[in-house]
Amino acid sequence: MRSDNSNRRRPRSLLVIVARRKTGLAGLVILVALVLTGVLAPYIAPYDPMYIRPSDRLRAPDSRHFFGTDNFGRDILSRVMYGSRVSMLTGLSVALLSGIVGGMLGAVSAYFPRIGGVSMRLVDALMAFPAIILALFLMAITQRASLVNVIVALSVAYAPRMARTAFGLTLHVCTLTFIEAAEAVGSGRVRILLRHALPNLISPIIVQSTFTCALAILGAAALDFLGVGVPPSVPSWGAMVSEGRMYMTCAPWIVLIPGGFVAVFVLSLNLLGDAMRDALDPRLRRLR
Amino acid sequence: MAGYLARRFLAMLPTIVIVLIVSFFLVRFIPGDPAAVMLGPDASVDQIEQLREAMGLKQAIHVQFLRYIGRVLQGDLGHSILFHRPVAELLVLRAEPTAILAFLSVVVALCIGIPAGVLAAVKRNTFLDQALLVLALAGISVPAFLLGLLIMLVFAVQLHWLPSSGFRSILSSGNIWNIRYLLLPSVTLGFGQAALIARLTRSSMLEVLQEDYVNAARARGVVERGVVLKHALRNASIPIVTVVGFTFAGLLAGAVVTETVFAVGGVGRLVVEAVLARDYPTIQGIMLVVACMYLILNLLTDATYALLDPRIQYS
Repeated sequence: MRSDNSNRRRPRSLLVIVARRKTGLAGLVILVALVLTGVLAPYIAPYDPMYIRPSDRLRAPDSRHFFGTDNFGRDILSRVMYGSRVSMLTGLSVALLSGIVGGMLGAVSAYFPRIGGVSMRLVDALMAFPAIILALFLMAITQRASLVNVIVALSVAYAPRMARTAFGLTLHVCTLTFIEAAEAVGSGRVRILLRHALPNLISPIIVQSTFTCALAILGAAALDFLGVGVPPSVPSWGAMVSEGRMYMTCAPWIVLIPGGFVAVFVLSLNLLGDAMRDALDPRLRRLR
Repeated sequence: MAGYLARRFLAMLPTIVIVLIVSFFLVRFIPGDPAAVMLGPDASVDQIEQLREAMGLKQAIHVQFLRYIGRVLQGDLGHSILFHRPVAELLVLRAEPTAILAFLSVVVALCIGIPAGVLAAVKRNTFLDQALLVLALAGISVPAFLLGLLIMLVFAVQLHWLPSSGFRSILSSGNIWNIRYLLLPSVTLGFGQAALIARLTRSSMLEVLQEDYVNAARARGVVERGVVLKHALRNASIPIVTVVGFTFAGLLAGAVVTETVFAVGGVGRLVVEAVLARDYPTIQGIMLVVACMYLILNLLTDATYALLDPRIQYS
């Protein structure tokens, strides 16, 4: 009856299984390094990311500026370090928000078909808009560029995808014997959903959230690149690429370094997500 | 088949109604007066009043909604404030580069993705397989704007092989060679999709290659190439068709960034211009068209299954 017993041990063992895979371990190490860089940015960044020094503009990478300087003479290494905080915060918040809201909506919709009949049509309609376009439109409504607006816009864009995943998973879990057993002993529907069904959804939702986090970082970088993301006063990777592309031919590092950081960050999350998904799915393990 | 498509179309109607509601209320969510927001801080009271009148903002909300649906059904998507012309006309004008871009990038994605996926599956667990997997993962992780700028830097700026930006119409000039403007954007857009297709092709092929009928074909003495291409790939292609369907629908999202990087004046660029200028009628019109296209493409994807797998019955 206690369907969630085995699940309680899963997060730890999942992390161990992931770390045992070369690609999973690589993803984990890169991710931890980037997170530490972002968290410790105020202590380890060599310069103030906003400090403008016109005499140093467009300097190639050297011993004073490891990643060179931009068109205002600002140190790119420091800006990239601070920029990782924005990407991290966006990715994590969107993954959490869309995971919780989308996951709950999907689970409730699957378990209570009357609610699902209506709510999943709304999910279908929202999924008809490509995520980045929906986020762009939502940014147009909010009128003001801010990190919170970016997070909300991207969460609204990705939550329907999470809801669809949770919906399918819940439908499957509800066919399993332990749910039937819980119903047979007269457990309430809400109790069954929260106590028995939901714990079985957490692991796959965490895996999906890792991919959502990666997509959100790419989405936020794209919004910044298009000029509708966080305000220019906040150093962000996407905006750095957008501002730097005018100087791309004479100072390619302005574009390559922040763009490269987005790619590496997203790659680490995808590596981790892949390893977790494979670890959870024995069928995939067999195929490898 | 026709009956199935008709039923699926009917089932799609509630979703289309919700899409209509979402795109209608989008403008009503704007804090404050939408007319004042659209015209900016320099607008006079008279101008704001005129736009409110023109947008029908003074009527009751249900009357506004019913009129909106009536107009949409007649093909009237509103009037762009930024470009001073009907949104439908604007979309038709901008559709050419985006349609060509979408088509070419799907071709690029399939030409790279399917062979890479098949190769990785056949050479499973070898160095080639691992290298292709990592390359595919990198393809998914690299932001489109970075890839676009890199491709532009190498092939347009350094090698001068192709133009770096802009677009000249093929339809109005009759010059097919104008397609060169869209080659670099297509590779940019297609590469990310190729990575997705390669990953899916690999896992789908791995599953199929273990099936009994594949072994049976081998036992009958069919050469390995025939087994892979004729017996396995055809059966592995159903999930691939799904992802290609989604790819097509999602291409507009990619076109938003790619068209901005390469300064191609297509629908993707129109989205960004409308959003930056807060041109709400245009935003509303594009939202509606994009969502309907997505739903129709989904339907067509399902229909394609039958062509690939005669076992699928539409009853």
